[in-house]
Amino acid sequence: MTVVPTGSPSDAELLERLRAGEQGAFRELVATYQSAMRAVAFAIVGSRNADEVVQDAWLAVVRNLDGFQARSSLKTWLLTITANTAKSRLRQQRREPLLDDLPAPHGSVDAERFADNGHWQTPPGHWELDTPEALLAEAELRECLDKTVASLSELQSSVLLLHERQGLTPQDICNLLDISLSNLRVLLHRARLKVFATLEHFEETGQC
Amino acid sequence: MLTCRDLVARSSGFLDGHLRLHERLGVRAHLALCGHCRRFIRQMELSRAVLRHLPEPDAPELEALAERLACERRQR
Ligand SMILES: [Zn+2]
Repeated sequence: MTVVPTGSPSDAELLERLRAGEQGAFRELVATYQSAMRAVAFAIVGSRNADEVVQDAWLAVVRNLDGFQARSSLKTWLLTITANTAKSRLRQQRREPLLDDLPAPHGSVDAERFADNGHWQTPPGHWELDTPEALLAEAELRECLDKTVASLSELQSSVLLLHERQGLTPQDICNLLDISLSNLRVLLHRARLKVFATLEHFEETGQC
Repeated sequence: MLTCRDLVARSSGFLDGHLRLHERLGVRAHLALCGHCRRFIRQMELSRAVLRHLPEPDAPELEALAERLACERRQR
């Protein structure tokens, strides 16, 4: 993991309350970090075992609270524990194939979009809803996006979540998930094109 | 000269700022001439922003888990 970000002051404050066994502090911790932890577990062991790995990781976190040193951020520490828990689980069972590029509900930006000379055959159209706020005000679209993300392979959806939503650096993601940078970029690009296709479909038809 | 298909293939790299100099210049040159691809890049940026702001699904077991973890901690 990168060494640069050290524990923030809020980490230190939260840590003190965690060590005191304050339930509210654990609620805060779980609410803040559980989805990133689940994404890491998801990518490594697959959907079937991810929840169990996250549970085990939480227990390991509690066991190791006293050993945590603010050399890394709390987030980095939690995700490293999760990745390690997931990887030791993998050694007990064969890894499921996770690299598939699965079909998404609205496809991607496929070859048919282009003419033989490589120019757009069906160019992108005008989008009426052109801010995140306007798009996310549409309940149907929110559900639709959840479906698209759920349709991605485990590794693709995890990479998308960790990079775009959790703001992890590519290097951190590669270290946690044991994938190469070029692999990460392919996964991310494919996932983004599928999200794009869902938005485009919604802009054109007004439905999922 | 890049085609639109090439540009789409490089769009993530362009947005993430990890293209090599000559690739980046190629993308810029294409975008200067191609309105379709300028629109595509804008829409890709918007897609990313939408995803960033998409609300997280609720974790219904949150309180129970917090209680269990706090309890584990206090027993140590
Ligand atoms: Zn073009």
